Amino acid sequence: MTAPGVAGLALAVLATTTVVGCSSEAGPALLPDAEVVESGVPVSDRREPDLELALSEPRKDSVYPQVGDPGVDALHYALDLTWQPGRRLLKGRSRMVFRATRPAPRFQLDLARPLEVTRARLDGRPVRTTRRGKNLVVHAPVTADQRLTLTVAYAGRARPVPAPTTRSDFSTTGFTVTRTGEVWTMQEPFGAYTWYPVNDQPSDKALYDVTVHAPARWTGISNGRLVEHEPGRRRTTTRWQLDEPASSYLMTLAIGDYGWSSGRTKSGLRIDYWVPRGKPTAKKKVRAAARAMDWAEARLGPYPFSSLGLVVTESDSAMETQTMVTLGDTGYVLSPAVILHELVHQWYGDQVSPDDWRDVWLNEGMTMLMQWLYEADTGGVPIKATVRRARQLDQLLRDEHGPPGDYDAGEFGETNIYWSPALMWNELRLELGDKRFFEIARSWLAAHDNQSVNRDDIVAHWEAETGRELYAFFDAWIMGRRTPARGVPSS
Amino acid sequence: MVQDMNTSGEPGPAPTPDELDDWARRAQAGDTAALEDLLGALRPRVLNICRGVLPHSGDAEDACQEALLNVATKIGSWHGNGRFTTWLHAVAVNSARSTYRRLKNQATPVDTDEHGWDRPDPRTTSVIAGTRLDLLDAMEAIEQDHPQFVEQLLLRDVYGLPYDEIARLVGAPLGTVKAQIHHGRKLARPLLRGDR
Repeated sequence: MTAPGVAGLALAVLATTTVVGCSSEAGPALLPDAEVVESGVPVSDRREPDLELALSEPRKDSVYPQVGDPGVDALHYALDLTWQPGRRLLKGRSRMVFRATRPAPRFQLDLARPLEVTRARLDGRPVRTTRRGKNLVVHAPVTADQRLTLTVAYAGRARPVPAPTTRSDFSTTGFTVTRTGEVWTMQEPFGAYTWYPVNDQPSDKALYDVTVHAPARWTGISNGRLVEHEPGRRRTTTRWQLDEPASSYLMTLAIGDYGWSSGRTKSGLRIDYWVPRGKPTAKKKVRAAARAMDWAEARLGPYPFSSLGLVVTESDSAMETQTMVTLGDTGYVLSPAVILHELVHQWYGDQVSPDDWRDVWLNEGMTMLMQWLYEADTGGVPIKATVRRARQLDQLLRDEHGPPGDYDAGEFGETNIYWSPALMWNELRLELGDKRFFEIARSWLAAHDNQSVNRDDIVAHWEAETGRELYAFFDAWIMGRRTPARGVPSS
Repeated sequence: MVQDMNTSGEPGPAPTPDELDDWARRAQAGDTAALEDLLGALRPRVLNICRGVLPHSGDAEDACQEALLNVATKIGSWHGNGRFTTWLHAVAVNSARSTYRRLKNQATPVDTDEHGWDRPDPRTTSVIAGTRLDLLDAMEAIEQDHPQFVEQLLLRDVYGLPYDEIARLVGAPLGTVKAQIHHGRKLARPLLRGDR
């Protein structure tokens, strides 16, 4: 339901002056459309997962210590999920290969209460489990570096859990069911445990195989490559393989009446678009991803994963779920700038992730700066004006929500973790010049591919690359109660 | 995750009406930087106005885009004797109306009511059925025979501007404006759903 006439007018006006579009859509909409195929979802071969990629050093979270068990290093989750929308019933089987990180008489995973465990086995033998709140405690002694396989069968009326945030666009996370029985998930900073037993803390990255049995005509969508697609008369089965490790908050599950189309980046990467049938506007808008990817790859280097897709859901937010971005269905969320934001997260957030929620600014700061630069490059507000305004607001954000690296646990994802570190990165960009700045931004990714990291790692990297003392600079921006002065102090 | 939409459109403390008047004057004089500042600052305000008319956020954003383009291209027609924000309200409400008309024309008609207007099919239109829809349809009907009441009625009942602002905007005495709105409401009432 967008108006071609308005886009044409936008072109005419943009030629003479810079117009701020309401969804920044004027820019990329003018570029030629990417290739769009309407049928024949490509299915690729399943590969044997390389478990060594998924070795992690799990830790107890400093902001949300109630989630996760640092004694568990999950390497691979194989999930088999059956969704019955009429009964609102989720049936699951989970097979988790993990490494015990220390000797212990028991270990635990997170699994929300409505899901009842009907059977649990450890290395093929029955094992006793108990429930304490959302904790699934497995009573079996383990030794350090022992590798084990836990299988759990479970079922129940899965539902979301309250999110620790005061944001306007979401108040719960996890397994969300629409009025008509479709499913979507967004689960930052936690909430994967509403649909499978999981070590739900970001320092424990793992590989995944997700099989979804959806009602006939519907399709289940998850992360990675589609390796099996069997539409049937009674149900449709899809199987997805994620062949590089992901933190649990970066997993997605969407089940509904989806149609598939695709585009392609200049570098040749296919982008799969999964949009509910009967939503032509959303279907058109997601195609902005192809040109946004061209822009991102020109600055951050080749896309780091083996597949890329976008799935549109009934959410009001947007989430950088790894290799399969989860988008809500609002004009704001489907704007090219927001799509670009989630795509940049594939590098900053997914390829390299925070190991603790106090460092979520590592994801959002660089991504926000990239979004501002992209908006400026595509006919939106010039970067200087954006930075000027954000700087005006920085003190208010610190007063309201705390410093970006020390926010209140109940105020997850407020604007302080976006704008304040974006301003910090912009100071380094101005100091070093775009070329050097992005060289270091890329070398950081290469040095920590598929790892979970923290603030000390990133300060060390930038100090090593620039040969400058930067600790005080980072500390002032990330932990300071006052907006730092402009510029990068020379040590 | 995307940043919260509620802060994304407001990159700084909202400018005062005096500041907006000043930017608008400079923009009129050909200062493109002032025009950029102005358009950036207006977005949340315009989007709010459009949302008042078009409840679906995608539609409101389309209307907002159109309104900002209209501001950029027609800023010369602001006379500078009233507040810029008053002129802006009229531009925004008109843009929302024209977006609504376009949506309605694109929609598949499902039934025709007694006034001969095709109602949009909610299955194919993103415009959500609601009281504003009735009011907008009523405006269209009134415009046929009594176009002189429509502008005032829209500004009062759709956007909710105070009477004195409307008087300044349309260049009529306050008493006249009040009477026109009263007449307009009498005409609109039987056209509204529920016939309240």
